Amino acid sequence: MAATLAAASGRAPLPRLFSRGILALVLGVYTIYQLGPFLWLATMSVRTTAEISADPYAWPSPLHLDQFRTAWVDSDFATYFWNSTLVVVGAVAVLTFIGAAAAHALARYRFRGNRIIYGILFSSIIFPPQITLISLYQILVDYNLYNSLFGLALVYISLQLPLTVYLLEGFFARIPQDLFDAAKMDGYGDLEIFWRIVLPVGMPAIATTLILNFIQLWNEFLFAVVLITDPEKRTLPIGIRAFMGDHFQDIGMIATGVMISVIPVIIVYVFFSEKLIRGMTAGAIK
Amino acid sequence: MAVVKLDKIVKRYGGGGPVVVEDVDLTIDDGEFMVLLGPSGCGKSTTLRMIAGLETISGGTLSIDGRVVNDVPAKDRDIAMVFQSYALYPHMSVADNLAFGLRRRSIPNAEIERRVKEVAALLGLAPLLTRKPSALSGGQRQRVALGRAMVREPQVFLFDEPLSNLDAALRVNTRSEIIKQHHRLGSTMIYVTHDQVEAMTMGTRICVMNAGKVAQIGAPLDVYWQPANTFVARFLGSPPMNLMDATLAAATRRAASPALDAPLARWSDGVLQARDGRKVTLGVRAEDMAIDHASLDGAPGGRVTGRTIAVEPLGAETLLLLELPGGGEITARLPRHVTATPDQEVVLFFRADAAYLFDAETGDAIAPLETGAAAVRAAVQRRTH
Ligand SMILES: Nc1ncnc2c1ncn2[C@@H]1O[C@H](COP(=O)(O)OP(=O)(O)OP(=O)(O)O)[C@@H](O)[C@H]1O
Ligand SMILES: [Mg+2]
Repeated sequence: MAATLAAASGRAPLPRLFSRGILALVLGVYTIYQLGPFLWLATMSVRTTAEISADPYAWPSPLHLDQFRTAWVDSDFATYFWNSTLVVVGAVAVLTFIGAAAAHALARYRFRGNRIIYGILFSSIIFPPQITLISLYQILVDYNLYNSLFGLALVYISLQLPLTVYLLEGFFARIPQDLFDAAKMDGYGDLEIFWRIVLPVGMPAIATTLILNFIQLWNEFLFAVVLITDPEKRTLPIGIRAFMGDHFQDIGMIATGVMISVIPVIIVYVFFSEKLIRGMTAGAIK
Repeated sequence: MAVVKLDKIVKRYGGGGPVVVEDVDLTIDDGEFMVLLGPSGCGKSTTLRMIAGLETISGGTLSIDGRVVNDVPAKDRDIAMVFQSYALYPHMSVADNLAFGLRRRSIPNAEIERRVKEVAALLGLAPLLTRKPSALSGGQRQRVALGRAMVREPQVFLFDEPLSNLDAALRVNTRSEIIKQHHRLGSTMIYVTHDQVEAMTMGTRICVMNAGKVAQIGAPLDVYWQPANTFVARFLGSPPMNLMDATLAAATRRAASPALDAPLARWSDGVLQARDGRKVTLGVRAEDMAIDHASLDGAPGGRVTGRTIAVEPLGAETLLLLELPGGGEITARLPRHVTATPDQEVVLFFRADAAYLFDAETGDAIAPLETGAAAVRAAVQRRTH
């Protein structure tokens, strides 16, 4: 099979071992390229800023594990972590549900204006989100949502919804119509079909958007820093920012803060990655 | 118990779109196996989907057991459907696929399990119950699709070309499986296909459709022996019936053209008189053509002369394709020993009672003296000669 393919494309087949070796080399280099900065960050998170200034690349000794305690307790990272979790988990949950429902409606129902709504959603992906910042600020102030986690969550939902709908619509539209017809014949109504057919069958795509949204929002800085002023309501990215003074940057503590904020992303990714990969390689519907 | 009645059913897609199903009148009796047969795009699926409730009805009334169901949603019609693509739920096991339709109705779990087991045993699905559809072969998926309809014990079964994705051998098996289940359940079944063999072997009646309209409804053999028009005549039978242009002469009771001369024994004087001197279309099936006059047993017969275009020896028989001098082609199904060279002049003979007459303009059949059962008997008799 491989031989015929190679022959068809007019090239001599590379010896298998050799091509494997190249693949391993490329992957290895890429992994180091990606992992290097992360490992560096990990070492810095258990070193003091003074140590880092003396030798940025040295191996940590002694291990200043107490930096994590300092960040968590003294620098209020426990609060920031909780705030981030509330806003992001809430926003992602709503995004996933509303996004999936809207995508299903746009993909499956023929109604007047369907493509217009889709076009508007799609065009809003093209514009950089920053252009909405000033008007969003004004709107939040008008509705007493400024400087509130709820308001920030709403903004996050509206920021990510178009892309979510766009990605899911593409996937849902490829679910065969016969599946819906079969469920109708089996006695199910539209809402039940959404629950029992669309969501489970669309799971790879839903997992993909879920991870993308989670990572995006968990690391979101710009809107959070503009729309939240109260230190009690800071999310993690703003919390980390607090270690940066005008003249002095506490690099050791920044690294510790970043490590704290990275851990949930890794957990979410590991948990959903199998489905993510299935969603991205697509063709998942037989 | 279910009688499905279509009364002047019309379908146009998207409001003002073209009419794709036009004034279809069709009554499917209780326990009947009705086959909707027609070429691709003639509106079979659309008609079936309107019965299912998956497509809105643009005009006319659809009733089941006297109750008008035009506006009853699919889920409340108590109809099961088997799709060409099978449409199995990919995220559910075979058992869940079968049970899905039952869970919706308040049926106790024990009863659901019993029915699923029963149907699975019946269709040989028992060892597959825990598998996902992606781990099944095409034939197994087809049986799950069939089982999913059967467990529901619905009033009416609909099939939309359920066998077209199977290989030839499996198709024959599944065909007899469906017929067996029809006998066992005695439910009303409506079956869409464009395969005339399926239609002839499965249907208690067939409804031939052409371009959104009903061309003819009747028992398979009735439709085969008494086609209502040239469309049905050519659609049923392989190779299709030969149609030849001719002019009718009432006095001599003949239809003739430069290539053709046929006595018209089956029609009354009145019918022939009314069309004296007019153009008609004469039909003769390929298997009713003979190469030697002796095979007519001395009965008065017709003859047609043409030049060979092709000779196709099929082993058991030989197909001979002729071109007629006035234009048009005919095919003859002849014994296997027959040979001919290309561009050779060949004379073919046929019995007078093997001829069909159609109006040259409308294509409608001109009815012979004997119709109904008598016609079939006569036809079968002439075949056994
Ligand atoms: N959703 C639709 N919108 C517009 N036209 C449609 C739609 N579905 C079918 N049609 C048209 O209606 C006509 C009948 O289609 P239908 O699917 O009923 O044909 P069919 O007899 O089942 O053919 P086949 O044997 O190929 O399945 C076709 O001309 C088709 O193009
Ligand atoms: Mg069809």
